[in-house]
Amino acid sequence: MKRRGRGMACMWYPIGFTVSANPSAAVVKIDEDGTATLLTGTVETGQGSLTVLAQIVAQELGIATDDVQVVSADTDATPMDTGAIASRTTYVTGNAARLAAEKAKEILFEVAAPMLGVKADQLEAKDHKIVVKGYPQRNVHIGDVASHARVVMGQPPIGSASFNPATVPLDPETGQGKPFGTYVYATQIAEVDVDDETGEVEVIRIVASHDCGTPINPMLVEGQVEGGISMGVGFALEEEILFDSQGRQINPNLTNYIIPTSLDMPEVEVDIVDNYDPTGPFGAKGVGEPTLVPTAAAIVNAIYNAVGVRITSLPATAEKVFAAIQAKRDAQPKQITA
Amino acid sequence: MVTVTINVNGEKRTASVPPETTLLRLLRDDFNLTGSKLGCDVGDCGACTVIVDGKAVNSCLMLAAQADGRDVLTIEGLATMDRLHPIQKAFEKYASLQCGFCGPGVIMSAKALLDENPDPTVQEIRDALGGNLCRCTGYVKMIEAIQDAARILRDEPVEINR
Repeated sequence: MKRRGRGMACMWYPIGFTVSANPSAAVVKIDEDGTATLLTGTVETGQGSLTVLAQIVAQELGIATDDVQVVSADTDATPMDTGAIASRTTYVTGNAARLAAEKAKEILFEVAAPMLGVKADQLEAKDHKIVVKGYPQRNVHIGDVASHARVVMGQPPIGSASFNPATVPLDPETGQGKPFGTYVYATQIAEVDVDDETGEVEVIRIVASHDCGTPINPMLVEGQVEGGISMGVGFALEEEILFDSQGRQINPNLTNYIIPTSLDMPEVEVDIVDNYDPTGPFGAKGVGEPTLVPTAAAIVNAIYNAVGVRITSLPATAEKVFAAIQAKRDAQPKQITA
Repeated sequence: MVTVTINVNGEKRTASVPPETTLLRLLRDDFNLTGSKLGCDVGDCGACTVIVDGKAVNSCLMLAAQADGRDVLTIEGLATMDRLHPIQKAFEKYASLQCGFCGPGVIMSAKALLDENPDPTVQEIRDALGGNLCRCTGYVKMIEAIQDAARILRDEPVEINR
């Protein structure tokens, strides 16, 4: 019969490389029509990182996300980036992009200050304007300031910056240090049905609660978590690279290396724990790899809760779970019925 | 060589191809319709899904000659120059795709489903996407988008496809 169980797993995960340098650099230029261009070496692979970077630059400059053109992944035209790895793009590249936008904005403030008859530190950028703080009617359009900066002041509003997470190397004696700039945290709860006659496990539902600092684009965060959970379900129940005696993979295609289909995916509930990291761009950290870290552990804990067997190697295939259930039954003293 | 004439996206097109040519190769190499993707080429991944006479098929598993005289709809046949198909629009709205490689196949599977069943349950949507592998999204936002597109398509009396 099918037995229902629930399991939980928690994790922390670091953002960026372990101690070693992993800088990102960015260039932001503000154009005379009030739009901006971001040059970044990072690569969009569908996770939405260029959208997030455009949002960060737009927020810093007080313009719309659509007004930020992103030029990416071409080292002839853009600064080198360490890469779309280590769950680092929002945090590391995002910080570089924000700092570059801030520098370009500072030029706008210097130029706008005499135009508005105030000091540069009394200005803010919002709603496509450079505005005197507290006096929103005293403003100049950002495009007009950019034009004035270039044509009159001879100072085009261009900023460039780099960011490398602040770390402290680990002491070889004590193991103490600060190997990463920041960390993210998550808890996932899995609900499974285990058939105790076949060992088959069906994941019914996963609730995933993730801290990624400020979720700059919550829909993209959800997409990352849902995708990570599908990989975690595959890791827990299906995916295994098999080798022959010569070390050659014997299941190198999708016929026999099984990944989750729409029919294997549980119902997923994503809970974003809104948080603020003062070292991140607008408080953001990261969300890529961490999303699948707790999934398999939550699922095998749920299997234990359902049928009382501990699965200690992955994937928890039906054969493996059934063998464990059998072994547990065999170990129990036989009940003699009348 | 065999001569194959198919009605692709409402347009009659002919090519002379070696008999072993798959429908996918015909579409991509001869008709330059590269929206249908060549993933596994053995029917596992569904990235090549197109609609033949109303049914979603893996075009890598169908010979071009088998499609002779039939109606074939590919991803290129959904949108017009000024308007996305409601399924495509919903996929955009829900950020249902990430890397996007599975997208054309998933959307064609969804189109075949909604043409046949305008009000599918979540389980019916999962069944329809069962042959389309996606490594990025966990299918969650695809299912949401297909439900949304189904609602929109039910309310629209006019068939907006070409």
